[in-house]
Amino acid sequence: MKVAVIVFPGSNCDRDLYHALRYVGLEAEYVYKRRDLDEFDAITIPGGFSYGDYLRPGAVAAREEIGEEIKREAGKGKPILGICNGFQILVEMGLLPGALLQNPSGKFTCKWIEIEVVDNQTPFTSLYKPGERLRLPIANGFGRYVKGNLEPRVVFRYTEDINESDDLIAGIASQDGNILALMPHPERAYQRILGGEDGLRLFQSLKLFLEGKRSVSK
Amino acid sequence: MRYIEKLRKALGREPTFVELQAFNITWSEHCGYCHTKEYIKELPGVKRELNAGIVELGNGYVASFKIESHNHPSAVEPYNGAATGVGGIIRDILAMGTRPTAILDSLHMHTINQGIISGIADYGNSIGVPTVGGELRICEEYRYNPLVNVMAVGIGKSEDILPSKANSSDEVIIIFGAPTGRDGIGGASFASRELKEEEEKIHIQVGDPFMEKLLIEAFLRMNEEKLLTGAQDLGAGGVLSATCELMSKGNFGGIVYLDRVPLREPDMEGWEILISESQERMAVVTTRDKVKRILEIVKEFMLYGDVVAELNESGIYKAVFKGKTILEVPAKLLTEAPIEPTFRYEPPPMPSFDKVKISFEDVDAHEVFEQYDHMVGTDTVIAPGTGTALMRIKGTKIGYALVVHSRADLADLDPYWGTYIAVLESLRKIRAVGGKPLGITNGVNYGDPDVDPERLAAMMMGLKRGAEELKIPVVSGNASLYNTFKGKAIPPTLIIGMLGKVEDVESVPLGFKPSRIYAIGWSNFDRRREELLLRTIDYCVSKGYKVYSSSRLMTKTFEEALARQGFKLELWGLPQVERAHQMVIVFADEPIETIAPPVVEVGKLC
Repeated sequence: MKVAVIVFPGSNCDRDLYHALRYVGLEAEYVYKRRDLDEFDAITIPGGFSYGDYLRPGAVAAREEIGEEIKREAGKGKPILGICNGFQILVEMGLLPGALLQNPSGKFTCKWIEIEVVDNQTPFTSLYKPGERLRLPIANGFGRYVKGNLEPRVVFRYTEDINESDDLIAGIASQDGNILALMPHPERAYQRILGGEDGLRLFQSLKLFLEGKRSVSK
Repeated sequence: MRYIEKLRKALGREPTFVELQAFNITWSEHCGYCHTKEYIKELPGVKRELNAGIVELGNGYVASFKIESHNHPSAVEPYNGAATGVGGIIRDILAMGTRPTAILDSLHMHTINQGIISGIADYGNSIGVPTVGGELRICEEYRYNPLVNVMAVGIGKSEDILPSKANSSDEVIIIFGAPTGRDGIGGASFASRELKEEEEKIHIQVGDPFMEKLLIEAFLRMNEEKLLTGAQDLGAGGVLSATCELMSKGNFGGIVYLDRVPLREPDMEGWEILISESQERMAVVTTRDKVKRILEIVKEFMLYGDVVAELNESGIYKAVFKGKTILEVPAKLLTEAPIEPTFRYEPPPMPSFDKVKISFEDVDAHEVFEQYDHMVGTDTVIAPGTGTALMRIKGTKIGYALVVHSRADLADLDPYWGTYIAVLESLRKIRAVGGKPLGITNGVNYGDPDVDPERLAAMMMGLKRGAEELKIPVVSGNASLYNTFKGKAIPPTLIIGMLGKVEDVESVPLGFKPSRIYAIGWSNFDRRREELLLRTIDYCVSKGYKVYSSSRLMTKTFEEALARQGFKLELWGLPQVERAHQMVIVFADEPIETIAPPVVEVGKLC
């Protein structure tokens, strides 16, 4: 089971994501530039500041050539995960609806927050129970999710209003569930020594899904 | 220029325009450590030829760490001044061959300056190095001269370590990173004098964290592929300082081809290229057979670079621009800045600190450190807010504790004792998380040494005695002098950065639990009791109790951190302590049976 970790210039959670994937026993490989992604069973886009986030967060990375490959794999129904900047990139690519705006505080915010699992019928959430509360870190300056015309498939909601996101949305999936994106960082909460391990089951869910041991309803 | 007479004498003639520009930088206080070099020599355990101190953590791992200030730029242009301060120290750590893993910042300011905070946040967050700790000191005395000191830490394997010198005359120096512009010209000499009311921003460098991130990854790739034999970051004095240091430390000379430096402003003069302080650049030493691969990596990471200098045995530093030699002097002359005489100092007995004139506000620092990413890298075990920062090395049991700490309130009254006590208190903080101290990095922040040499000497002696008595080597440091405004100096502020090794990071008590709270120790300070206090701290840690050591006993930041972890803190009868005391707070779920120091139950955590 091989998972691609897409590294854009300026990504900075690539190594953290890589370690979390390996921790649950998945094989992970960094992908730095355009290449055929067919050999990978899942694709992940880490957090960071791709291209310095100088235009809009994720805007430049989303228009990179590798984006075409990611779209192709998404079309095949392959699991795709975007965390933080990865969420912003997936939205900029048009693979997920809505947009991420600057936090109303105008400031970057890094702290532990609580979210609630809304939907456990995705390849990444099968080991969580609906309604279950998770403690995960956030670390972003542009984390306020706003919906567009399309109603998103909500997977995680904040349990309190931390940044004026529409409907307290913290994470969403594509309509068929194979693309998941969230602002909190599950890869920073995979071991107790890091302050919490509520993020671990997200990666374990993916592993079970890839091994064909869990199916999800679409 | 301060040392013009000395320069005339050394050259035996009038210096040229370019020589004046060059020596004005390399012989500045900022680059040459003219007033502090002699004191630094006296400190225990200083390794001279390295960029930043290196200590061994075991299993082949080493840690490099150093503190650096960016006070003058932050006073004039808070955002870019602070941002480039982070960038600069990160490159120091990188040049050692280690991957930067943690940042701590010590801020002294009269109010929370959002420009400075944003500068640190935007830069540190973007490059993906967590800001895991620091101190926030709010006091009116720093209104015109805020102090921005940043400590950076890097981790590597001992075989990855690079010297900051050339090793053979067959080698060449490649400069790569961001292209060079006119920004920061004269920055080093600007940082070596009093601030004026109207300052020119031309001296201030502009930071680009995206470029820095690319630079970090490109450099580490080169080192991983064993392409490098030495490295030096480009900071104050730009191309000039970096290349002449690499040559001089290896006892070589060389020719610097300024036309080959990639430019952002193509109409720059040779001397401007030589001394520009454009950020996000590195100088690496390599052999000719590796040049091609290095330049490939430079291109892969969307950076600019070229072979800028070729070494030789002459000992002469020669800079060429458009076919003309614009500078030709002995490399050693450039790097051996004049040294000011030291002030002999013998410490007085410890005064009563009742008469201390300044104090720091007790502010909740969450507002500040929550703007910093303190978790990226997933190695942060103890995050800011609850005491000493603790990091781990993945795949091992090794942990390392980090702290920055200063006591300018005490040092204002007595610079010797204030500094000395800061060293002792730093050690308590390291031991509070089970750390064994491996080294100190120091950040000297001072007023005008020409007006008042004694208090500088006192501060340096406080550091020396403290480090000697505790047997902790001072492995690196930085000095920022002339922090004055209209003749008024800041309080002598020496910041201690300390690193300690934790043998088994998994054995350190994680998080808090409902418990009783004890104050253990003495409400005043007596040096003879310090060992006993340290042994008590060790005992408490070994029993799995949480220990909190702070000069204020309890702080708003700590209380808020506990509240956010869902605890209610009930305190009764917290002892009144003197400014300098020997008391720590301990959280234990059972009565503590000690040894000598008095134990008072002061509250509970539920």
